[in-house]
Amino acid sequence: MDQGEPLPSFEGLAAAFAKAKAEKEREEASGLRARTGDAAAANKRGEVHFKALHLIVIAFFTFLLILHVLGIYLFATGFLLTRLVLDETSECALPPIDISDVYSPGSAETGCWHPKSFEKAVVILVDALRYDFTVPFQATDSEQAQHFHNALPVLYDTAAKHPHQAFLRPFIADPPTATLQRLKGLTTGTLPTFVDAGSNFAGDAIDEDNLVAQLRNASKRIVHLGDDTWHALWPGYFEPNLTRPYDSFNVWDLHTVDNGVTEHIFPLLHPANTSKWDVIIGHYLGVDHAGHRYGPDHPAMAAKLSQMDEVFHRMIEQIDDSTLLVVMGDHGMDVKGDHGGESDDEIQAALWMYSKQPFFGRTSPDYATPPATAKERPVAQIDLVPTLSLLLGLPIPFNNLGAPIEEAFIGAQGSNYENLANVNRLAAAQIHRYQDAYAQARGLDPSTRASALALWDAANDAWDSIKKSKKSATSDWKTTFSAFSAYQSETLSICRALWARFDIPRMINGVLILVSALIVLGIYARGLDGEHAELTAPLLSIGAAGSVIGLLNGLGLTYLYTSLSLDQALSFGAAFGGIAGVGMGFWYIRRRIILPVPTSIWGWASVIFTLALSAGFAANSWTIWEDEILLHFLATFGVLAVASSFRQKNTIDRALGCYHSILFIVLTRLASFSRLCREEQIPYCKSTYYASATSSTSATWQLAIPYVVAFTLPNLIRSYFKGTRNHQGSAILWLDFALRFGLLLSAAYWTLDAADDGEWYPGYGDEIKTTKRLIAQLTLAIALAFGYSTFSWAKPFLNIETKKKESYESASFVVDDSGTSSITILGYANVHGSRYAILITMWFLAISLVEKPMGAGAIGILTWQIFSLFEIIDTNKLSNTSIGPVVLGLLGSFHYFKTGHQGTLSSIQWESAFIPLQTIRYPWTPFIVVLNTFGAQILCAIAVPAIVLWKQPPKKKSLLSDVAKAVATHVLFYAVINLATTMWTGHLRRHLMLYRIFCPRFMMGAVVLVVVDIVSILIAIGGARTSFLSVAEVFGWSDVGVARTATREREM
Amino acid sequence: MKPPATPIDTLSNDAANLYKHLHPVLILSLYAYQFSSIVADPVPALTTTLIPLAVLQIAYAAICLPPIGSSNGVGGGEKKKPGERRKAAPGKLEVSFNSKIVPAFLSLISSTLPGIPVLALSLLLFGAPVTTHHAETLLAAAHISFLATLPLVYVHGVDGGRWREIVAAQVHIDEVFGCTLGTLVGAWLGAVPIPLDWDREWQKWPITIVTGAYIGFTVGKVLGGTILKGKTVSFE
Repeated sequence: MDQGEPLPSFEGLAAAFAKAKAEKEREEASGLRARTGDAAAANKRGEVHFKALHLIVIAFFTFLLILHVLGIYLFATGFLLTRLVLDETSECALPPIDISDVYSPGSAETGCWHPKSFEKAVVILVDALRYDFTVPFQATDSEQAQHFHNALPVLYDTAAKHPHQAFLRPFIADPPTATLQRLKGLTTGTLPTFVDAGSNFAGDAIDEDNLVAQLRNASKRIVHLGDDTWHALWPGYFEPNLTRPYDSFNVWDLHTVDNGVTEHIFPLLHPANTSKWDVIIGHYLGVDHAGHRYGPDHPAMAAKLSQMDEVFHRMIEQIDDSTLLVVMGDHGMDVKGDHGGESDDEIQAALWMYSKQPFFGRTSPDYATPPATAKERPVAQIDLVPTLSLLLGLPIPFNNLGAPIEEAFIGAQGSNYENLANVNRLAAAQIHRYQDAYAQARGLDPSTRASALALWDAANDAWDSIKKSKKSATSDWKTTFSAFSAYQSETLSICRALWARFDIPRMINGVLILVSALIVLGIYARGLDGEHAELTAPLLSIGAAGSVIGLLNGLGLTYLYTSLSLDQALSFGAAFGGIAGVGMGFWYIRRRIILPVPTSIWGWASVIFTLALSAGFAANSWTIWEDEILLHFLATFGVLAVASSFRQKNTIDRALGCYHSILFIVLTRLASFSRLCREEQIPYCKSTYYASATSSTSATWQLAIPYVVAFTLPNLIRSYFKGTRNHQGSAILWLDFALRFGLLLSAAYWTLDAADDGEWYPGYGDEIKTTKRLIAQLTLAIALAFGYSTFSWAKPFLNIETKKKESYESASFVVDDSGTSSITILGYANVHGSRYAILITMWFLAISLVEKPMGAGAIGILTWQIFSLFEIIDTNKLSNTSIGPVVLGLLGSFHYFKTGHQGTLSSIQWESAFIPLQTIRYPWTPFIVVLNTFGAQILCAIAVPAIVLWKQPPKKKSLLSDVAKAVATHVLFYAVINLATTMWTGHLRRHLMLYRIFCPRFMMGAVVLVVVDIVSILIAIGGARTSFLSVAEVFGWSDVGVARTATREREM
Repeated sequence: MKPPATPIDTLSNDAANLYKHLHPVLILSLYAYQFSSIVADPVPALTTTLIPLAVLQIAYAAICLPPIGSSNGVGGGEKKKPGERRKAAPGKLEVSFNSKIVPAFLSLISSTLPGIPVLALSLLLFGAPVTTHHAETLLAAAHISFLATLPLVYVHGVDGGRWREIVAAQVHIDEVFGCTLGTLVGAWLGAVPIPLDWDREWQKWPITIVTGAYIGFTVGKVLGGTILKGKTVSFE
């Protein structure tokens, strides 16, 4: 390596450098060799070569991303449950079984299959109305009343005082407990499948037979008020001039929807207007939003429930004799007010029906008081479908699996078992018809429902014997009722099992792709000897060719075998062609491949951390306690780093290494105090992320955290720059002013947000909302717009000093000390690292804003730890090992939990979408939610290149290859986790905890892998390009970033 | 930097040879004997177990191990040149009660005084409960300290340079260092069953850690004295 001879692409710093040198030379009157022309050409070649290699590396990682996406796609589509949707519909004139001896069917006026009981209905859906919100609560020593208790007594009171006019029962939802899935269940009577879960906010029109469609077929006029999800499901079904839909996604708004519904519903109930409609559907969202925003144990929830209480009182007064009033929840909410999963609190909603006339009965006098808890006498939500259909004289929707609710058919005396048997026979017969059609369409083996068929025959025998014997006792009807009801429940349980149907070949294809992609990635990351950047080209070209051939093969196969599904054949063909191609590429460069078996304690530590974590996902306990396991591993890394630091011969290295290792451990533990416990961790875990375990707002003291971060973190980061004299140029502006200002703004945002939430300044709500949103936008602009301009145009953080020969700086580089003065480049020691690290701090700022105050603290600690890790890696000379990227993977996963997330769907902080925006806007809304959810992993993925760049000499060869290797290792960590969670989920697909624990963890692992892939490509490797170009501008191209083949050959 | 200490040989008199094999059995028997009462009520049981544990460890050090500064021990009071005296005839060594038991007691004190706080702090950093279970954590640290550091201090003394090597895991593995590594690794692995939902009493803090430490001690002692003897931990 020659002595820092400046190559004359002089600009900026380079010019300063040249000027200083020229001055010195003039002063010393020594000659300057002029090789300008040569050097410029070489330099240009170097730059072009670097850019080409960089592009190839980017392309290779994109190729890996595609493999990951294809593998995950095939597995997920095979794994996430599917149910065949039949488009048959029930018709008024065609009852499912011969009922001529009971009733003459076919008239919507009197009732299609059964005489109708009500002319009209008002159906009120209170989103997230949990059963225990509606029943009285007596405080005991062990349990004190929470805010949601006793705030909504009207439902219980009416049902208890007037059992013939009203009843209240727990109303159990089939998970997933997201509103869209629930609306489907509540209107079609079928079981949801998991694959719908993701479409909650997009909405699809329902193409199965359902209650709303039946109402419309019967020419009923339906008015809808409230949540606009209904319009996505039934576009054009509602009376256009009376219907008032409201945006459902803005969970921060507690009142707009509710006030709108109330405002429009009462005029319609007025006798003058009742002729304008047949059914009103009112969907209140306030309770749900209060839950999401504050949690159930909050005064806002009590206020909301009292408001509902008052609304129902008024409705009871105003409703007329021929109208049925139904109030129900579509799901409950967990202790923090979120929902989506299948915990008890999430599935236990309430159902209440009311009639002005005595109508409802009880099969037993014991049932006169509503159940005290949701465990007693629950009804399934699908039971609403046959109940409402028959009460309103409609046919039961074709796909229904529910049973009529007994209170509504037993008669006010509680003894009309004949009617109950009748309606159960109708419902059972419709289920039977549906099951026949389904079995036929799907080609099912009759043995799967043999048990149900036997019950069906028995029920029909019981019915026939009653019909024959003319004289029938109540007990006979009771028996018949039980027999039909047994058939219904048996069919339901068969269907539950049946629709847990997995497409095993697809799942296996997906896993195969993921396994092979993992092998490719593993060899690329840890098994290549020499230049990654150079070796990528052959791998990529053959891989890409293989993909195309595979794709064509897949296409061909689908023509030959029409039973193959096109997407499966194409995905699998392309992926496997590509992998085979890369395999050939590896063969082509086989002399460069070494067996990727760890050789050092660090290699083993990386492997053990990754594999132990992956193996743990096979057990639900270890999956639940992932955060603690990560803490354990990170502390272990810290201890190993202490031991390793003690081995360093250089005293400074030893001291620094020890300091940073211990700091790293302490910071990990400090961050671990930020916890958001998942339900399964309780009682061994106490949530600290929010004000209380049952809230989703920050405590007042937590608002101080972002300020502390704003005041301390820029200084801390600065100290890592100052250590190597890199606190120069744009770094000063960025770290001392922009970053600090941005962090202060984000702290101010959260203070304003708390002011808005807590209504500290009543009357100024709108101003506060507008201001805080502006502040958030400004912060993001500083972080990303200003940040990226700084990052793109900044010169390396160097300073050139010409001074008399006296002092040597360890962190500087003395160019020439032959004369009386010397040129010193301050910041030489960490040109690459400091230049690149600006990118980390930019994204740190953006992520801090979108995390809650506690999360901002966690992200601040994470950033500090990242810089500490750089020092540990440097002082222990570990930049070439796998430990750095793997520890970043552990750190990212650890802080995912420390920013208030868990491996559950309900922990997604959807409301973060509204930090900078008032309404949903694509692509910003998903971007913000992803940034909030995976902020920690994103920040760590961005930090990976700095592991190998930190304190590397500017002219070190093949740094681009080192970056590629480190990024590949980092992605490898997540790819192993993803493969493990995928395989365990596939393997444990019949496990009781599948939906609660394994499936969400699989989804998280898959999304994290794709996010990290994308971040690595676009931000990390992409950012490294900017950083390399900038450094090369000063130090020249011949050596930076890549070693040119010619150079290397000469050395060999 | 001085070369790493040579591996330590246990004394080769009859008592030492007998007791060095008896010791791990006694240690494990003690723990097994106390296990049910530890599970029933960890704090008092762990406290009372400390006394016999200390007696056994002191006995082990006094009977089997060369004290600091002794001829076949390692560095210490007087600095020796490496390799200067490797082969003193141990059979002739006069076993003086005072020169054995007193250093063993001193080792107990000088290993536990800094050892317990440092280990307790480490347990906290590894995720031990911070606001509760302080007595349990301290007792776990005490057990680990008695097992891992007492013999180590007895043979290596409190020399700073030597301890830097120990922390860096640069000393040669022998029976004594094997005990230390084994205890620590055992305690580390002891955390594995804590999260499992088996609902067993013994899963409570800190029983699995202490159990792991005892098992690790035995395994480390046996391996360190046999197949791993003389090897070093390599980080590279």
